[in-house]
Amino acid sequence: MPTSTIKNQAKSDHIDSVVSLSEKKTSSSKSELDCQCPVVKAENFSFYYGSKAGVKDISMEFYPCSVTAIIGPSGCGKSTFLRSINRINDLIPNTSVKGNLFVNGHNVYDKNTNLVNLRQQVGMVFQKPNPFPKSIFDNIAYGPKLQGVKSRSKLQQIVEESLKAAALWKEVKDDLKKSALALSGGQQQRLCIARALATKPNTLLMDEPCSALDPIATGKIEDLIGRLQSDYTIVIVTHSMQQAARISRRTAFFCLGELIEYGSTVDIFRNPGKKQTEDYVTGRFG
Amino acid sequence: MKYNTRHIINKIFTVVTAASVVLMIVILISVLGPMIWRGSSAVFFKSTVEFRKMQLDLHHRGDEAEIGDEISKSEIYRDFIYHKIDVFKKGINTDYYTDRVKQIYRKFSKELQYNGIKGDQLSRRRKFARGIRRDMEKAFKSLDKAEILQIIDDVNKCKGDERIANTKADEFFVLADEYKETIKNFDLSKRQQYAQALKEVEGLVRQLLGPRSDEPLPAMVMDRYGATRVDLAKELLDKIIWKRQWVQQNPDKPMVEEKVRRATQFAGTELESIFPYIEENFDTITIPRFTFYWQYFFDDSTSGHYFGGVGPEILGTLILTVLAMAFVFPLGVISAAYLVECASDNMAVRIIRMSINTLAGVPSIVFGLFGLAFFVLVFIPFFGGPSKPCILAASLTLAVLTLPVMIRASEEAIRSVPKTYKEASLGLGAGRFRTFVKVTFPAALPGILTGVILSLSRVAGETAPILFTGACAFGSVPKSLFSQTRTLSYGSYDIAVGDKIGMLVPHNQYGMVVTLVLLIICLNAIAIFFRAKIFRRLKGH
Ligand SMILES: Nc1ncnc2c1ncn2[C@@H]1O[C@H](COP(=O)(O)OP(=O)(O)O)[C@@H](O)[C@H]1O
Ligand SMILES: [Mg+2]
Repeated sequence: MPTSTIKNQAKSDHIDSVVSLSEKKTSSSKSELDCQCPVVKAENFSFYYGSKAGVKDISMEFYPCSVTAIIGPSGCGKSTFLRSINRINDLIPNTSVKGNLFVNGHNVYDKNTNLVNLRQQVGMVFQKPNPFPKSIFDNIAYGPKLQGVKSRSKLQQIVEESLKAAALWKEVKDDLKKSALALSGGQQQRLCIARALATKPNTLLMDEPCSALDPIATGKIEDLIGRLQSDYTIVIVTHSMQQAARISRRTAFFCLGELIEYGSTVDIFRNPGKKQTEDYVTGRFG
Repeated sequence: MKYNTRHIINKIFTVVTAASVVLMIVILISVLGPMIWRGSSAVFFKSTVEFRKMQLDLHHRGDEAEIGDEISKSEIYRDFIYHKIDVFKKGINTDYYTDRVKQIYRKFSKELQYNGIKGDQLSRRRKFARGIRRDMEKAFKSLDKAEILQIIDDVNKCKGDERIANTKADEFFVLADEYKETIKNFDLSKRQQYAQALKEVEGLVRQLLGPRSDEPLPAMVMDRYGATRVDLAKELLDKIIWKRQWVQQNPDKPMVEEKVRRATQFAGTELESIFPYIEENFDTITIPRFTFYWQYFFDDSTSGHYFGGVGPEILGTLILTVLAMAFVFPLGVISAAYLVECASDNMAVRIIRMSINTLAGVPSIVFGLFGLAFFVLVFIPFFGGPSKPCILAASLTLAVLTLPVMIRASEEAIRSVPKTYKEASLGLGAGRFRTFVKVTFPAALPGILTGVILSLSRVAGETAPILFTGACAFGSVPKSLFSQTRTLSYGSYDIAVGDKIGMLVPHNQYGMVVTLVLLIICLNAIAIFFRAKIFRRLKGH
C-alpha cells in the first residue's frame, strides 16, 4: 500500500536521525550493558492512588554508571514510578504499593527503611528548578547539614565540590551568599543538581529536568548529565525523544501505567519490539 | 460597531472603578478628618497660664522665672475678681455674719473669765451681751431693710454701756456698721436668688481662674488649676457671661432655651462689673500661647484624664498587644501547620476547621465573658495566680479572640508555599518537621506576617474582651502581669460612657482614639517593614 510505504519511509528517516545522534555520544556495546548488577530493581511493582493505579506491574532494573531514560505519553506514570523510588510519593495520602522495589539491595517499601538514608542515596531533580529561597551556599549545605556536617570548612568544601561537579562553580563562586532565586533558570537547575550531589548519592532521579529550560540551558544540563554518568546511576524522565536518544544508554517506554518495552536506546529507537513503541517513537502515537 | 461598544464599555469600567476609589477616599477623609482634627488638639493647642503653671508644678517643665512672672501678672486680675465676689458674698451669705457674731460673743465671755469676773456679775454681763447677739442675728436673718436699720440703731445705742465697755464686745458695733454698709445697695428680697446665682458664678470663675492665691492647696490636683486650655477657657467664659435657662413662653409651647446676660442678673450690685471685666481682660488673665504638648504621649494623667497625657494607656495597649501576639503567633502557626501538614481530611478535622471559621465571627463581648469565666476564674488560679482581672488574662483573651484570624492567615500562607520546596527538602532526606521549620515556615513568613498585621490591629483596638479581664480606667502603671492596666481603647470607651470629668475634656477622648490609630499604624508599619524585608530576601533581590 502506498500510504504505508511512505509512512515506513518517514519512520526510518526519523529513527536514523535520532539514533545517529545517540551513537555519537554513547558508544556502547551489548555485552557491557548486561554485566553489572542493578542499583535499582523493581519486581512486579504497582503504585495506587486510592484504587486507581499510577503504575502497574513494573519489573525493571537500573544499572550503575549509566543513564536510563523513561519515555512515554503524558499521564502514563513515568513520574509516579520515578517518585516511588525515593518514596517521595508518600506525601500523597491514600496511596498504596504492591510488589517490591529494591535500591542498593534494600527493599524500599520495607517497614524498617530509613527514609533519610534512602533519600540521600537517591537524589532527585525536579521538573521545575526548585532551589530554596535561601542563599546558594545554604541551598547546597542543606543536605550535608542534615547528615550532621557542622564544621564550616567542611561545608565549604562540600559546597565547592558539588558546584564544581554540577559545572556551576565558575559562575557563582564569588557570590555564594546571593539568593539562589537570583540565578537564571538553567543555573537554578544546575544548582538543584549540585544540591542533590551534595548528599553524596549514588543514584540521581531526574523528572523532566529540562522541560522548563531554553535550548542553551538544556544543552548545558545534557552535557552535565553526560559527565555525571560515569559516577552515578541516572534515571531521567523526558518527553523529548531526541534527548533520550542523545544522552541515554537504555530507554524504557511506559504507556498507561505499564512498562511496554525496555532495552538499549539504539534498539528502542531502531528496532522497537512492540507496535506501541514503534508508533510512539515515530510520532504516530495518539 | 462591535469594537466601539467594547471600547465604550471598557471606558465606563475605568471610570466607575476610579470613581469608587475616589468615593472611598472622600468617605475616609470625611470620617477620619474631623476625628484627627479634634484628636490633634490634644497635642497642638493654645494653652493658658494655668497650663504652664501645672507643667511647672507637676513636671518641672518650663522656665520658672518666666512662668512666675506670668502668674503674678494674671494674679492681679484674678485677685480683683475674687475680691469683688467676696464683697458681694458678704451681703447674701448671712452665715458669715452669724458666725462672726458668735465668735465675738465667745471671745467676750472668755475675756471676762480671764479677768476673774465670777458669779452674779458674770452672768449679768453675759446676759447683756447675749441680748445684743440675738438682736444682731435677727437683723442678719431679716429681709426687711427698715427693720434691719432699726435693729442696728438699737444695737448701737448699747455702745458705751458699762457692762460691755472696753471689752471685745466692742467688735459687735464694728460688725453692725459693716453689715449696714453691705446692705446699703442691696435688694434683700433677692437674697435667695442671688445666693443661687452667686454659687454658680463662683464655681465657674473658679474653674476658669483656679483657686485663690491665699487659699490652702486643694487636695485634688484637678482643683488646683483653672482652665489649662484656651478652648476650654473660652467655653467657661461664655458660660460666665451668659446664663442659659429654660423658659416657657407660652403655656402650650415647649420650653425654649434662652440666653441671659448674667450682668443683668446682678444689675445694680457690686458683682455687675466683674462680667465685662473678665471678658475684656480675658487675654491678659489667661495669657494664651500656642503649645505643642508632645509629652502627651508619655505623661500620666490626673484621675479622670482632666490633665496630662496618655502615657500609661499607650504602655498598657502595647503590653497587651505584644503579649497577645506572643501567645497567638506560635499557637496560630502550629495549629495552621497541623491543619495543613498533618491533618487528614476526616470528620474531626472538618469540625475543627468549621469551629475556627465560626469563632472568627463571634462578637468580641462573648470573648470578654469567656475570658472572665475561663482565664480569670479558672485558668490563672489553677496555676496558682490570683483570681482577678489582670494583664495576663486580658492578653490571653485577646489571643483567643484573634486566634482564628491568625490560623486562617497562617494556613493560607503555609498552603501557598510551593509544593516543590517541600519536595526538594524531603528529597534531600529531611523529615516533615525539619522541612516545616527550615523551608516551609520561612517561605510562609510573609503571609503569616499578614495575619499578624490583621491580628495586631484587632487586638490593639478591642475593648469588649478586656472589659472584664484586665482593663481599668484609672490606676497606676502596671507593676506585673497580675495587675490591671489602662488602655487606649478602654480609656476612650470609659470617657464616652461614664467619666464625667473626662467629658469636660473632649479633646482627650479624640486624642486617645487618634493615638490608638497612630499606634496601630506604627505597629503595622513595623510588621510591614519586616514583611517586605523577608519578602525581598525570599525573592532574592
Ligand atoms: N496525586 C495524585 N493523585 C491521584 N492521581 C494521580 C496523582 N498524581 C498522578 N496521578 C495519576 O497517575 C497517573 C500517572 O501520572 P504521572 O505519573 O504524573 O504521569 P506522567 O509523569 O507520566 O505524566 C495519571 O493518570 C495521573 O492522573
Ligand atoms: Mg510527569
